Amino acid sequence: MFSLAIRQLISRKNQTLLTLMGIILGSAAYVAISAMMLGFQSFIVDQLVNNDAHIRISAREEILTAANVRDFFYDSDQNVHWLQPPSGRKDNASIVSPQSWIARLDKDPEVFAYSPQIVTQAIVNLGHINTTVRIVGSDPEKQRNVSNIEKYMLAGKWTDIGSSGNKIIMGEDLMIKIGAHQSETVMLSVGKQNPQPFKIVGVFKLGVKSIDESTLFGSLSDIQNLNQTPGQITDIAIRLHDVTKAGEVATTWNMFSQDKVQSWDQANEGIMSVFKTQDIVRNSMTISILIVAGFGIYNILSLAVTHKKREIAILRSIGFEPNDILQLFFIQGLILGLIGGIAGAGLGYILSIIMSNIEVSSQRGLGSNHMMVSFDWMIYVKAVFLSVFAASVSGYLPARSAGKMEPIDIIRSEVS
Amino acid sequence: MSLITKDVTKKFGEMNTLILKGISLEIKSGEMVSITGRSGSGKSTLLYILSSLDSPTAGQVLIDGVNIHQLGIRDLHHFRNQNMGFVFQFHHLLPELSALENILMPAVKAGQSQEKKQKALEIMSEFSILDKANHRPAQLSGGEQQRVAIARALVMNPRYIFADEPTGNLDSANGLAVINFFKKINSQFGTTIIYVTHDKEFAQMGHRQIQLVDGQLA
Repeated sequence: MFSLAIRQLISRKNQTLLTLMGIILGSAAYVAISAMMLGFQSFIVDQLVNNDAHIRISAREEILTAANVRDFFYDSDQNVHWLQPPSGRKDNASIVSPQSWIARLDKDPEVFAYSPQIVTQAIVNLGHINTTVRIVGSDPEKQRNVSNIEKYMLAGKWTDIGSSGNKIIMGEDLMIKIGAHQSETVMLSVGKQNPQPFKIVGVFKLGVKSIDESTLFGSLSDIQNLNQTPGQITDIAIRLHDVTKAGEVATTWNMFSQDKVQSWDQANEGIMSVFKTQDIVRNSMTISILIVAGFGIYNILSLAVTHKKREIAILRSIGFEPNDILQLFFIQGLILGLIGGIAGAGLGYILSIIMSNIEVSSQRGLGSNHMMVSFDWMIYVKAVFLSVFAASVSGYLPARSAGKMEPIDIIRSEVS
Repeated sequence: MSLITKDVTKKFGEMNTLILKGISLEIKSGEMVSITGRSGSGKSTLLYILSSLDSPTAGQVLIDGVNIHQLGIRDLHHFRNQNMGFVFQFHHLLPELSALENILMPAVKAGQSQEKKQKALEIMSEFSILDKANHRPAQLSGGEQQRVAIARALVMNPRYIFADEPTGNLDSANGLAVINFFKKINSQFGTTIIYVTHDKEFAQMGHRQIQLVDGQLA
């Protein structure tokens, strides 16, 4: 039946090629669109996950209320009337018990590495230029195990920060913004004392403008001193062995912690929902294309069944069962789906290579400014699977109707 | 060993038009029988009911004592494959296959294509179409196509051959050749041959004629 099915397809060259073109284009479109979208998503995820942390433990922001200020300053039997009730964020929010966290993280088998940090806002000054920045203080040896920031260094080495000495690494866009150069000294202030000098020992560029133009990295002790909070930890960045467990682990830790524990995906729910929307659009487009291709298969096989009535009658009369006839046409649909799917995946691969060589305007880290394209093999497996699935569904209906044909009905219709 | 019909009736369509009216007959093993009659007399309908391709509205068809219309789908198709050969007026060859491959199709179904290949070639030689073994049906003349169709009907050594107007689409020389093939097969292998024809001369070449008039035996 397989050989006959192939010969029947070959005998209808034009129809077969036309249908194959539909499936190939559908499958290639799926691969190309998926490669582009997933490439973009993986780039963003890489930025979110690997340049920050799988899980971040941070101090829970406390908002002052009249009740907790009153309890702190007055006895409970004193009657206090506020002219202007206290409000606002509590200053110097820090992790409640960093040592207990560190003890727990040292023992947790899910944890690959962690890096205690102090994260604060500051004003950077160079000459007459002032701008607000976010400073992250960390132990560079610990931080390099948690994030991939080292990969994105344009000048200097990540470890040049050292453990002290007021050295910082600055985003390239921030340097341009304030007109600074490597090895130059800038003044940093958190508003509590006179500005302190910090030397720029390195430059990074992640390709994420919001980070590149507003972030500085320094050593943990230097930034603690700048902030006048020695020993204070505001954040712990954690890298797990398996990033996919981040959400689950963060939720568990959150249940017993007074601090805020967030996985990278929980912290970026907005972006993740954009990804989900993208996936819906991608899958909807693919399904639409495959439905069109499926109609092509349905049409070609329905026509074939009509044209092959005589052959169906003779096959039935020489002992081929209804299931054999069903198989004969169903196999043709499967062959179209399989060949179309594989060829489409191949074409999609070529398109992906072409796309990956297209230069895009926004510059990526390390100077790579080409379109991010995913070459995940699962895209190709799915493309072939979807084509075969569409072919199976659309091929089954005409095949079933062929299987149901009774030879005597065909012979009678031939005579009449 | 015989083919027996008992009071076979066939009605067609919404109006229940009666095509066959209580046909009872017996065709003995090894007979060559023609079914004749005017157009609309029911001769093709009777042939298809005898051959299991159509079922009667009432009555029974017994082949060697087995009511073929009560067989399950798988048994019925196996029975056809092993015991019956069909020849139609319009040949019904598979256009994608060569003459030899067409002849071997029943053997393919039975899983005996290799074993039957020699037999197929012998039949082709007998029918003087051996040189056409690799030709497609479109490359054969009408007479050659009909010989391929008869060879296909013979390849499984069936006990019964049913032919509906096998000469209807052929000139008289080729038509005569087909009936002569049937006679030869019948005498050589003892194959029971039942054929429908409207040609009196060809009808008389069988052992006996079954003549139908308005759905009844004459």
